[in-house]
Amino acid sequence: MATHDTNLAERSGSLVQSHKNYQPRVVFFYFVILALLLTLGGGLAYQQLLNRDRHRDTERVQNQRRILVPGPRGNIYDREGRLLVGNRARFSVVLYLDELRAEFRREFIRIRKNYRETGDKDLPNSAQMEEIAHTTVVQRYLDQVNDILHRAVSVDRTDLKKHFDRQLLLPYTLIDDLEPGDYARLVEHLPVRSPLQVMASSTRFYPYGSAAAHTLGYVGVDSDIDVEDFPGEDLKTFKMKGTLGRDGLEKVFDTQLQGEAGGTIFRVDPTGYKINPPLEKRLPVQGKNLVTTLDIDLQQVAEEAIGDRIGTAVALDVRTGEVLVLANKPDYNLSDTSPHISQQTWQDIIDRNALLNQAIGGAYPAGSTFKILTAIAGLRSGRLDPDQVIVDCDGVVKIGNKLFYCSNGNGHHHEITLADAISHSCDIYFYEAGRLITPDILAAEGRRFHLDQRTGIELPNETSRMVMPTPEWKEEKMGERWFPGDTANMAIGQGYVLVTPLDMACFVASVARNEVYTKPTLLHRPNAPVQHSEPIGLTDAQRAVLLHGMEGTTIYGSAKDINKLPLYHVPVRMAGKTGTAQKRVVKDGQLGTINFAWYICFAPIEKPEIAVAVMLEGETLGEAFQGGLNATPVANLILKKYFEKRDHPSPFVSPLKTP
Amino acid sequence: MPPKRFDQARPFLTLIVIVIAWLVVPVVVKTFTRASFIELQAPITVAASYARDLQEYWTLRLHSNSELIEAGRDLARLTATYEYSVQQNATLQAEVARLEELLKLPAYANYRPEYARVVRRDFSGWWQQLTIRKGRNYGIPVGAPVIFSGGVVGRVSEVRAYTAVVELISNPGVRLASVIEGETQPISFQGGINATFDAPRGVIEFVPLSVFASAAMPKRLVTSGLGGVFPPGLSLGTVTKVEPSADGLFKSGEVQLDPRLSTLTEVTVLVPLNPE
Repeated sequence: MATHDTNLAERSGSLVQSHKNYQPRVVFFYFVILALLLTLGGGLAYQQLLNRDRHRDTERVQNQRRILVPGPRGNIYDREGRLLVGNRARFSVVLYLDELRAEFRREFIRIRKNYRETGDKDLPNSAQMEEIAHTTVVQRYLDQVNDILHRAVSVDRTDLKKHFDRQLLLPYTLIDDLEPGDYARLVEHLPVRSPLQVMASSTRFYPYGSAAAHTLGYVGVDSDIDVEDFPGEDLKTFKMKGTLGRDGLEKVFDTQLQGEAGGTIFRVDPTGYKINPPLEKRLPVQGKNLVTTLDIDLQQVAEEAIGDRIGTAVALDVRTGEVLVLANKPDYNLSDTSPHISQQTWQDIIDRNALLNQAIGGAYPAGSTFKILTAIAGLRSGRLDPDQVIVDCDGVVKIGNKLFYCSNGNGHHHEITLADAISHSCDIYFYEAGRLITPDILAAEGRRFHLDQRTGIELPNETSRMVMPTPEWKEEKMGERWFPGDTANMAIGQGYVLVTPLDMACFVASVARNEVYTKPTLLHRPNAPVQHSEPIGLTDAQRAVLLHGMEGTTIYGSAKDINKLPLYHVPVRMAGKTGTAQKRVVKDGQLGTINFAWYICFAPIEKPEIAVAVMLEGETLGEAFQGGLNATPVANLILKKYFEKRDHPSPFVSPLKTP
Repeated sequence: MPPKRFDQARPFLTLIVIVIAWLVVPVVVKTFTRASFIELQAPITVAASYARDLQEYWTLRLHSNSELIEAGRDLARLTATYEYSVQQNATLQAEVARLEELLKLPAYANYRPEYARVVRRDFSGWWQQLTIRKGRNYGIPVGAPVIFSGGVVGRVSEVRAYTAVVELISNPGVRLASVIEGETQPISFQGGINATFDAPRGVIEFVPLSVFASAAMPKRLVTSGLGGVFPPGLSLGTVTKVEPSADGLFKSGEVQLDPRLSTLTEVTVLVPLNPE
């Protein structure tokens, strides 16, 4: 034992000795380890404490997805609360792909196994097999739907792949725009808890088809909907398609009509499928409703009266400037634009030039309707005496080197005064009147009535091509001097004079109120105040002459034939003026003249309520297309309906309140 | 000591072995086992229902003659009323058939009525279902509509040899196409979340905005007939509330179902004569 203890002591002593020999190096490594630990600890603190927010954001962006759903658009009503544009349910059967993860995986394994068993060396790669699996599973579900609906629809592989790549979180639409019967069958046959579901979305609904198409406008697809004050702007966002106003009121009031989009934020797994329940959810809200000034009864009457012809009719409430009718032909069926416009429909609309809102988008020579302005300019400037005979109309007059003819009354009005010249629309009288008044005064009067300006109606694409020509204007625009013939043409609304039908409707409404400006509006306000602007400035006697002439037009003048037809009879006194403007055009390779048939009027004379302007475009070169024959019946039908309704008003249907 | 420890653990081990064995057993075996269990259990349920019928029979036998005479008189009056209704229905059906022929409308599916006693009711919040005393032995198919004098009961969800399970329309798992009386647009009806013994309720969705109903002015909800399962015009319940949904596109609402659903003793299964 002693020997053993001695050896042990020796050995331990040597160990201690050796340990003591290496102590500095060990201490050094202590420091090294400490430094490493501090580095690690520091790094950990840096990442976990200082960079915590950054990592949390990265993780959030990586694991969360946002889905935006558009809100339904607001409705559009007519002035009596009748629905002009609404939303209809659009049912579709959709497949929630995120619920099929396990099924896709199983199908993938089965397909891979089958390929391997065949021993084929030309195997598809993993991505291709995955795509096949997706298509197979989706087709399986689509076959269930096919069985229920007795259809034979196949999955579009390209479309499905695109959906997987870009919109995995959104349900995949198998069949869109279901009929009510199909919808009912699916509701009854599909299990309640199934990846297959019937989904409803909103699409525009037009109860009156093509009525007021240009005014109401249409909507297009908006792939970039936005949502306010909804978190997750930095997240990957999937947007369901919304709508955007493309024309008419839909375009101008797009912001108001647009609903508030809703949204959902989901957590997703590493493969991109969503995990329920959502972290954040907000339901979409319908847009604001719009009550227009249109009267759909009058609108339909006007459109029916224009029929297959090219033209437009505008009716205004004289007192408020509210647009009761804004009819345009050719038009298009708004229902064909919803849920989307097919290429064929679009081409047809373009081919027929049916997109043009002629009432505001086309500038036309005003023809003899302009004589009212000439008369006012003459009376106001004192250049015309209502009782004075200034010409002896024998149908032709030489102005400069050219002969100017009287196109109305078979050309023999003989000695004629202002009132009769208006009633019979004597051109010779107004050629002379124009000479007396001068083009500058005529143009100034036109500008005073805002005929050279946009009306500012709440519609897009209002033209600015209106012209109230002066010698300076001609010199500037055409580099030519002004001829006496230009004045003669201007006095009868020909030559360089260009106006829109809406301008003329506002003009005649202003004349009805004995003022110079009417601001048209399409927004209906119950109990809207009466518009007022600068008075025309005619004496009572002068105004009486003017109205006498305009009333004479409808009784014995250029529009007299109309009152012979009982259908068109309006049991009120009406003031009107016809017009037939010519324009030289090349049509089908032939140079010739087409006519624009005009009629402007207001009624009743004693207390004006409604003003109408009608302009129809002749389609055949050299055709006897005249205001008195063609345009007047349209206006009279509108007036007849208006006064029928006034005497037998229909109950107001209150539009649904916007939530 | 070690053998004793093993003895104590044996039940747990057995359980684990059974669970593992059950997990690896083929699906066919599992289905067969479950079906066998249900079919073996069925006679007990059916026997219990027969016993109840017998009990009711003897209860009725104990009624006095005057009570029976009164009941017989009431029944005769009721029968007379029904006879009149049957005649009216026959006239109306003939008129409908004439109009359908005139307008070349497709005929609705025809059904064979199969009357069945209710042998078991389950009105827990989860199931909301009935078991009836007829099954495959009477040719009852899965999905067949089930009705009673007050309207729709539900649809057959499971068919066994001698019994069948009917999911009630108060079950959230039942959905069908319906119309509000006087309207034309089909809407979706679905059973609601019903607590045990509560008055049964359902919900409707995709209701047009033009539809109004309230507890004061309720509207009747009937089957649309468009879904292909239920014939048209069968009563589902009363719409007591509709309110706009948040998307502004539709309304949704509540439907008060017939309270007799929880006390049914006899129902009629409509077996389609020409199933698709």
